[in-house]
Amino acid sequence: MRRGPPPGGRAGGRVGGPGRARGPCRGRTAALGRHGARRAGEGDMTGGRLWSARRVPSALTACAVLALAGTFLYDITAVRAGHPAMSWRTALARQLATRPLHDPWVLTGATLAALLGLWLVILALTPGLRSLLPMRPVAPPVRAALARTAAALLVRDRVLEVSGVRSARVTVSRRAIRVRADSHFRELDDVRQDVDAALRETVRGLGLARRPAVSVTVRRAARR
Amino acid sequence: MRTPVNRTLLCLAGLVLLAVGCAVLIGGLDLPRRWGFALPSWWSYRGPHDVLLDVRARTRYRKEGWWWPAVIGGLAVLAVAALFWLLAQFRHRGPGRMLVHSGEDGDVVLRGRAMEQALAADAAELPGVLGADALLTGGRTRPRVEMRMLLDRFAGPAEVVSELDGRVLAEARTSTGVDWLPAEVRLQAERHRARRVR
Repeated sequence: MRRGPPPGGRAGGRVGGPGRARGPCRGRTAALGRHGARRAGEGDMTGGRLWSARRVPSALTACAVLALAGTFLYDITAVRAGHPAMSWRTALARQLATRPLHDPWVLTGATLAALLGLWLVILALTPGLRSLLPMRPVAPPVRAALARTAAALLVRDRVLEVSGVRSARVTVSRRAIRVRADSHFRELDDVRQDVDAALRETVRGLGLARRPAVSVTVRRAARR
Repeated sequence: MRTPVNRTLLCLAGLVLLAVGCAVLIGGLDLPRRWGFALPSWWSYRGPHDVLLDVRARTRYRKEGWWWPAVIGGLAVLAVAALFWLLAQFRHRGPGRMLVHSGEDGDVVLRGRAMEQALAADAAELPGVLGADALLTGGRTRPRVEMRMLLDRFAGPAEVVSELDGRVLAEARTSTGVDWLPAEVRLQAERHRARRVR
């Protein structure tokens, strides 16, 4: 059961003109614009990207705050109860009171703090999950994403089915799919046309929200 | 799933670090004099010969009766909040419960675990799917589903998702009477060797 071409999206892509018979031939299927765009009234649930829960940075930050606050709390209450202050705290107070701001240690620490802070802000504001490709929304409350590694495997397995292709390497970035295939028989142009046709169908079947640019290189495999 | 708490607190922590770092850098590199701008009067680090925290600033409020209780209380609140934030990262968010039916004779509540197992089993039966895992989150009246599915080598992801929505999730919606069941689906595949079919 194959789904027809999605409404509003043009099926497949244009294959580059007949290329050279020898050497790397490139067919390029252009990116076909974005579809699966927001529909009115769906608000937050549009088929946009999935957002990371940001568990790891949250856990690390919480650990750091907990350790810092806990240590100070322990030592301050100990001092209030009549015990002597721990040596690190008196040393810290002395350092804070004597090191001028132009001291290299202070400047390095301030730079690191500012960069770490900037990074945390970026983590807080960006969706993350860059290894997942957002998929076209089928129905408003269902949002789906395809792992980039899974997309690469599916495309590779499909390209290997084309007769004449001996091996293929597929890299999937967030906007483009790049296929490098080695062919051991048949005319390279024929192989490339078959690979292009296979890719058109397969890439549509991936159901990605943003149609990726597809580039294909078919080369004559070295004789074994 | 959007997690406003994590993101708000991360942003807050980041802004604090960024502000302190920038304040020290502005003073330490003597930027006001080099670049010719004036700092507001309340700014604490004014030049490269200032220190981070001098003795007078550190002991200024020591004589006040409220100082130590305020410091200890503030640190305690911070530590407890950080502890809860940390524990929230490891808490298993499911299984929640779903309110299936509510009437005068009482409510019918479906255990989240049962719902999860049914969803996962149904999803794993779909063509092109090797395995599936479902997690129910959200409250009893506003449930959400998070699913992970493992794809077969010749699956069509678009088809899998539409089948999931049209069959599995639709059945879950009708059988529980929840007409709005948001779902987040992640499709993955296991790495395998390239194999020529013919």
